[in-house]
Amino acid sequence: MREKMLSNVKGISSLFTILAIAGLLVCFSVAAATAAEPKVALYIQDTEPILDWDPSVESGGGMLVLNNVYETLLRYDATQKKIIPLLATSYTQSNYGMTWTFKIRKGVRFHDGSKLDAKAVKFSIERTMKLGKGMSYIWAPVTKITVVNKYTVKFDLEWPAPLDLIATSNYAAFIMSPKAVKSHNQDWLSQGNAVGTGPYVLQKSTMGEEVILRAFDDYWNGWGEKRYDFAVVKKIVESSSRRQMIEKGDASATVYLPAEDLDQMKSNPNVIVNVGPSLENTSIMFNTQRAPLDNKLVRQAFAYAFPYKKVVKYAAGGYAIKARGALPAQLWGHSKSLFQYSQDLEKAKQLLKQANYSQNSRKLLFTYVSSMEADKKMAEMYKSDLAKIGVEVELRGMPWESMWELSKSRKVEDRQDIFAMLWWPDYCDPYSWLYNMFHSQKEILYNLAYWSDPKFDKLIDDANYEMMFKKKKSLALYHEAQEMLLDESPSIFVYDKKNTLVTHKSFKGFKDNPAYPNVVFFHETYPE
Amino acid sequence: MNHQVISWNAIAPRIKEFRETVYLLKRNKLTRIALLAIYALIFIAIFAPWLAPHSTHIMMDTNPQDKLLAPCTQYLFGTDELGRDIFSRVLYGTRISLQTGLLAVGISLLIGVPLGAIAGASEWYVDEAIMRVTDIFLSFPGLLLAIAIAAILGPSLQNAMLAISISWWPWYTRIVRGQAISLRERQFVKAAKAIGTPHYKIIFSHIIPNCIAPVIVQASMDIGGVILTIAALSFLGLGAQPPTPEWGLMISTSRTYFLSAWWYSFFPGMAILITVLVFNLLGDGLREVLDPKTRKKQ
Repeated sequence: MREKMLSNVKGISSLFTILAIAGLLVCFSVAAATAAEPKVALYIQDTEPILDWDPSVESGGGMLVLNNVYETLLRYDATQKKIIPLLATSYTQSNYGMTWTFKIRKGVRFHDGSKLDAKAVKFSIERTMKLGKGMSYIWAPVTKITVVNKYTVKFDLEWPAPLDLIATSNYAAFIMSPKAVKSHNQDWLSQGNAVGTGPYVLQKSTMGEEVILRAFDDYWNGWGEKRYDFAVVKKIVESSSRRQMIEKGDASATVYLPAEDLDQMKSNPNVIVNVGPSLENTSIMFNTQRAPLDNKLVRQAFAYAFPYKKVVKYAAGGYAIKARGALPAQLWGHSKSLFQYSQDLEKAKQLLKQANYSQNSRKLLFTYVSSMEADKKMAEMYKSDLAKIGVEVELRGMPWESMWELSKSRKVEDRQDIFAMLWWPDYCDPYSWLYNMFHSQKEILYNLAYWSDPKFDKLIDDANYEMMFKKKKSLALYHEAQEMLLDESPSIFVYDKKNTLVTHKSFKGFKDNPAYPNVVFFHETYPE
Repeated sequence: MNHQVISWNAIAPRIKEFRETVYLLKRNKLTRIALLAIYALIFIAIFAPWLAPHSTHIMMDTNPQDKLLAPCTQYLFGTDELGRDIFSRVLYGTRISLQTGLLAVGISLLIGVPLGAIAGASEWYVDEAIMRVTDIFLSFPGLLLAIAIAAILGPSLQNAMLAISISWWPWYTRIVRGQAISLRERQFVKAAKAIGTPHYKIIFSHIIPNCIAPVIVQASMDIGGVILTIAALSFLGLGAQPPTPEWGLMISTSRTYFLSAWWYSFFPGMAILITVLVFNLLGDGLREVLDPKTRKKQ
């Protein structure tokens, strides 16, 4: 009896399957007859598309998605070194850089249909400032935001700051719809909702995996003849799978392929390897709060033991240049006359001896992001050279999130000793760069050398203060601050990366903008 | 004097039986091959640093100018992404895999066997208590439990080994308990009890020695499984950390390069395959010989 029932059930279910397939076929053929197949741009990367959907909070890899859904007042073109108007059509500064007035673009609509005006700008920036999360500190100089009229907004500052550059930031400078945000609770945005003015609308987000964006028909800047109707950002960890997908044309763009793959792909006519300068650089942060790296001499010895040439050539595969100082060569504030370490094991040994470094001290823990092949190679090469000067290191590859978590452990003993760091600017300014990594911090965010020196703090604070009107003096102060970092060596500055974004030949219109690393503005791109 | 004669009489048949077992084992061709391979693996494991043509490539040096070279006379198995000799590293990997495999199974046996014997030979409530705990452990998929434990303990080879031991011992408890229950009713155990032998002595000198045969079979099969699990954990980043030449870790790293360097995944993969295979063959052979039903047929 039971068996018979089961076979009946089977019969019914298979009937349903057939019906469903037939239905689907009909649907597809109808769709194909009425409209052309939508064009989809697929961007694949090794990390999550986004960690927090709240544009005031996100400070990780979400900038690609956010920059397509939201817009900022201005955008910085790092190749031309100029500022482009976006949601603001023009701006003026007065009162020695203490007052900034922005004219807001008219006729811009948010994805929920509401209109952009000065109030929305005030609301968005104030929200970000009030939440005080992620990179919200970029607005620290702002004391008051005033709506002058419907399309004019005024910022009053406590000290002179380049607010135009701040408004181009990768993070924390996005304008969102007040109507949508106010009508929901505080967490609504974080839960995977987005209402911006950008060319793409959030269609679907699967946390940790994939984000699907749909073209926004009412986008203020209009659409060209050809466009991508959908833009999909997807996490695919295996670099070999990503390479195969690009080569077959299943994906449009990808980043972070190993140098060996890039070299081979250059000869493939179906893919384009876009190599350009970048503002990303790799450095190594020492735990300056814990022995033995709390000793300046030991840190200097470690800096002399680092195999700079080999790492640039083999770990980065030549897609990098050796760093000089903390700031990348493309960023204002960089100085060509700074001291540069090079490998000298004898000197390193001597310094260790001077520091009374004991050969039998504990193994030092070196953490790096496990998915970053270049960092893994760098770590292995460094370990082998440190062993030559009698320092034992234990390597640990971890996902970024757990590595960051470990670095912020409450007890200093629980933290790593050496941390491989990749840094890119939030906005193109030396202060933000140095502030994030080396300014004293009450609560550790990215100062993962745990470095704290009031003299250094004052140097960069002053440099930032002078930046608007006494550029030369400011530059000299930044130079001095970097010399100090090189001498104290809380960190080894390894290399400035080159941008290597690989696209399929059918993916047109991509322009590399180092100010927004690995970001594709899908509005610029089109299929062919 | 007399005492010694009695014990010799007791031991003699056992020695005879052992010799017969070895003879039967060697008569089976597959088992003989497996045994020879295991001797070879043990030899390699012990002498790996001296056998390796580029012994500094095992842990210490990187040699990036020779990166990803195909197999040649200088580098029999080719080189990896940092120019290290894969042949030397695979040889040394034998030591790591055998060591961790044997240790993990050893720890599991140490926990599992006594617990099983106690459960089988004791009062019902002790039995219940122990067996329900093992049920809890067995209700997790083995690899998943190992992953969870390794993640909590932190990634390293020792922790991976511990994680495997913790997730593996309940199997032995089960086997031993089943045996112990039937042994409990046998004459010699009852006799021991009757003359007042303490309970723990009965367990350790009468029950455990008599239910060890199926455990040996299971353990020899498990060594292969454990080696595979350690490789899996290392592959996931929860086991050995670079630059340790652990086979699973090597395969994990090779994923990035397999499109252009087949040798990088192939040789460590073959090493795992062969090792796991020979231990399974040995286990099969042992089972046939030690099981009274199949022993006579041989």
